[in-house]
Amino acid sequence: MIESNPAFIIAAYAVTWVVLLGYVLHLVRRNGRVSAEYESMVLKISGKKK
Amino acid sequence: MWLGVAGFGAVIAAQAYAILTSPAERDMGHLQKIMYVHVPAAWMTFLAFFVVLVFSVRYLWRRNENDDLLAAAAAEVGATFNGLTLLLGMIWGRPAWGVWWVWDARLTSTLVLFLIFVGYLALRALVDDADQRARWSAAVGAIGAINVPIVYMSVTWWRTLHQPPSSAATLDPAYTLGLRLNAIALLVLMIYFIKKRYDIARLERSVEHMAEAAAMRGT
Repeated sequence: MIESNPAFIIAAYAVTWVVLLGYVLHLVRRNGRVSAEYESMVLKISGKKK
Repeated sequence: MWLGVAGFGAVIAAQAYAILTSPAERDMGHLQKIMYVHVPAAWMTFLAFFVVLVFSVRYLWRRNENDDLLAAAAAEVGATFNGLTLLLGMIWGRPAWGVWWVWDARLTSTLVLFLIFVGYLALRALVDDADQRARWSAAVGAIGAINVPIVYMSVTWWRTLHQPPSSAATLDPAYTLGLRLNAIALLVLMIYFIKKRYDIARLERSVEHMAEAAAMRGT
């Protein structure tokens, strides 16, 4: 049996969570940026119509 | 939102169950516990790129913008899981094989798959014209996804250091439920990721459409 070094098991689960939470953070940031762009575009267009 | 919470909750529960209940494996010892994250991540990669294939072909057939956006969302999520699969494989490979990386068929074909979809995302970032971007990326996505069966069959077709494909059918029953639960939990999370990324992509396209319309009115 291979000697079970717990460092590799901990590293595997830590990397998994860093990637999963990192991707969620990426989605939240991108959503915030695009929502702000959308709102400013709506304001710009509605301002022009007036 | 609730889907994301459910997905993360399911991943926590499935990982806790698998870590706490699975016994040490005969050859791998407790290192076997890495399987519960590595194998489901690889399955999600395959599934996400299958979604890319279906919606890329559908886009080329129907030219519906939403098909292109869904394929792009699945490609980004698939590339994320693909990168995670490679990292976890390296972490498992070091104690199991004594090396972080070896150019065997499974590892090399998985890396090629990852690079194809990094290229796909780079292509989307570089092309400004929406129609051209959608057409080119649909072609790259459909051709790139053909690599998935090559990755899957690589351990059968060539002599590799990597073990044969893990599945519930080939596993000792002591590990089956843990693997299934982790795969289902990651599937829920992947569906949430793709849906959320698709919603953002639609909003981005709305901004692009409004900017185009505003520019037309301005001229």
